[in-house]
Amino acid sequence: MCHSRVALAFLIVTGCAAPPIQKAPTANPDLVIEGRRLIANARAEDKNLWRYRVVMEALKRGQFVEARTLLDETLPDISMLRALDPKARSTHRLFTPESAKTFVGEPFERAMAYYHRGILYWMDGELDNARACFRTAQLFDADAQKEAFACDYLLLDYLDGYVSAKLGADGSDSLKRARANAKQITLPDFDVSANVIVFLQMGFGPVKTTVGRNGERLAYQEGHSTAVAAEVRIDGVKTRTAPWDNLTYQAVTRGGRLMELILRDKSRIKTTGDIIGDLTFEPGLILTLPESTQNIGFALVGTAFLAKAVAGSTETRADTRTWNNLPQFLAFTAMRAQPGPQHIEIEFFDAANKSLPAMKRTLAIEVKSRGDTVLFVADK
Amino acid sequence: MKLTQIVQAAAMIVFVGCSNINPDGVDVTELRPDERGFVAGLGIESQDLVAIAEKMARSLVGIPEIANAQGQPKIVLEPVLNETRFPINKSLFLDRIRVTLSKNAQGKLVFLSRERIDALEKERELKLSGKVTGGENIKANEFQGADFILTGKLSGISSRGTKGQSEYILYNFQLLDPRTSKIVWEDFAEIKKQGKDDAAYR
Repeated sequence: MCHSRVALAFLIVTGCAAPPIQKAPTANPDLVIEGRRLIANARAEDKNLWRYRVVMEALKRGQFVEARTLLDETLPDISMLRALDPKARSTHRLFTPESAKTFVGEPFERAMAYYHRGILYWMDGELDNARACFRTAQLFDADAQKEAFACDYLLLDYLDGYVSAKLGADGSDSLKRARANAKQITLPDFDVSANVIVFLQMGFGPVKTTVGRNGERLAYQEGHSTAVAAEVRIDGVKTRTAPWDNLTYQAVTRGGRLMELILRDKSRIKTTGDIIGDLTFEPGLILTLPESTQNIGFALVGTAFLAKAVAGSTETRADTRTWNNLPQFLAFTAMRAQPGPQHIEIEFFDAANKSLPAMKRTLAIEVKSRGDTVLFVADK
Repeated sequence: MKLTQIVQAAAMIVFVGCSNINPDGVDVTELRPDERGFVAGLGIESQDLVAIAEKMARSLVGIPEIANAQGQPKIVLEPVLNETRFPINKSLFLDRIRVTLSKNAQGKLVFLSRERIDALEKERELKLSGKVTGGENIKANEFQGADFILTGKLSGISSRGTKGQSEYILYNFQLLDPRTSKIVWEDFAEIKKQGKDDAAYR
């Protein structure tokens, strides 16, 4: 009776505890400034992820200095070999999740970081450094499990050759490689006289998720794009371009990761622990009742708890941190225009070839008298 | 029966723990260019820059065109051409070579500034227009022409695969005679590196 009064009082007291008041988070409406704050507050392991996301936002807003600075903070880190990185090593342990490692992204994300840095180098007139970035981006795709999917970004090969041609070298090998991989698009010849270079991107890219009994395998939710073509008009000339590369395709064709073998082993241990726990708990409980089998019973119950504890603490989930504002499609076009002030129109089209007026852009630009005028245009 | 299952499950834990995956990476190692590595590449780092700039400067200062020159040969630096997959600060190599040459050549060489030619021309025009002082001392175009042009090219071979990655970079520098287009001096350095990421990144 006394116990129930105490329990009742406890329930009332705890039930009456006022919930802590939390202020609604305040966010800066400028997403790049807000992004800077998020980077500063992020775990050290997540800073690259936030930098990636803010870079994309900065590029879309035309804040190229910010994008350049952030990429220059990120690229040395994502290019480093982490052979002896203790954080990376810790993810091999049973109770440490994969997300404890420093985020550098899957190969398609790293490739995109270099691709966008390449665009910025081109904007600055450093064509050879732009080409270096496109080459590195392509190289990240080199370790795809199936050779047919390795180094198969059309745009990166094309840009490698195109920049070489602009620098007076022979880019025909790269063009040949790009054309060999181009199944649904006819790649134009290099126009080294083109002085307006337009990088286009459309839709939302793939997002990581997990599959498998214990979430031990990495999978992707396919990206989406309403726009599947773009028409660019400048100085009385128009050109139409379809997507050159599909980032969902690039993400899923990487194939299995070595890390998944480690996660698979962890998953087996987790499953086995669960089975042992299930198998030993009830018999153990029954055996604790007769005095003659009590010791065995307690041992089995103890084993059950231990096995369940191991299973419950084993971290099997694949790392699903994603650069989630990448596009689904990349496209490119190079055109000629008279130097000076110009208006450039970019119109996007859906799969039924209907114009998407909400995405249409008209930009006032100054075409440089020397070198290329490089534009970055996203449909969102 | 249940006991057998328990034993089997426990054995599975032990054996799964002994899986034959070798998740450890291999630390970055520097190889001689003629040494065969097990895979392919890493980037251009500060120690490479210093070592190569020192080597080039030593090689250049000893050539007869510089060592036995009458007067002070005038040299212009042209940014190196980067053909590798690594974006670099292109003036860094030549700046480092210039500094080392200036230090070692003991006044035998003169370097001409062309990177700032716009600023130099602007200053000269300001002087000539009388907007600033010093124009009275300018008698003609006194910008000096170069006796030699020092430039270079960085080329590389990269490979990356399931076994790791490697990088070979060839640093090639030339001293050109702009009057004759003759290559007066040429030297190179090469570095090969290889490494392998931890399994968490593969």
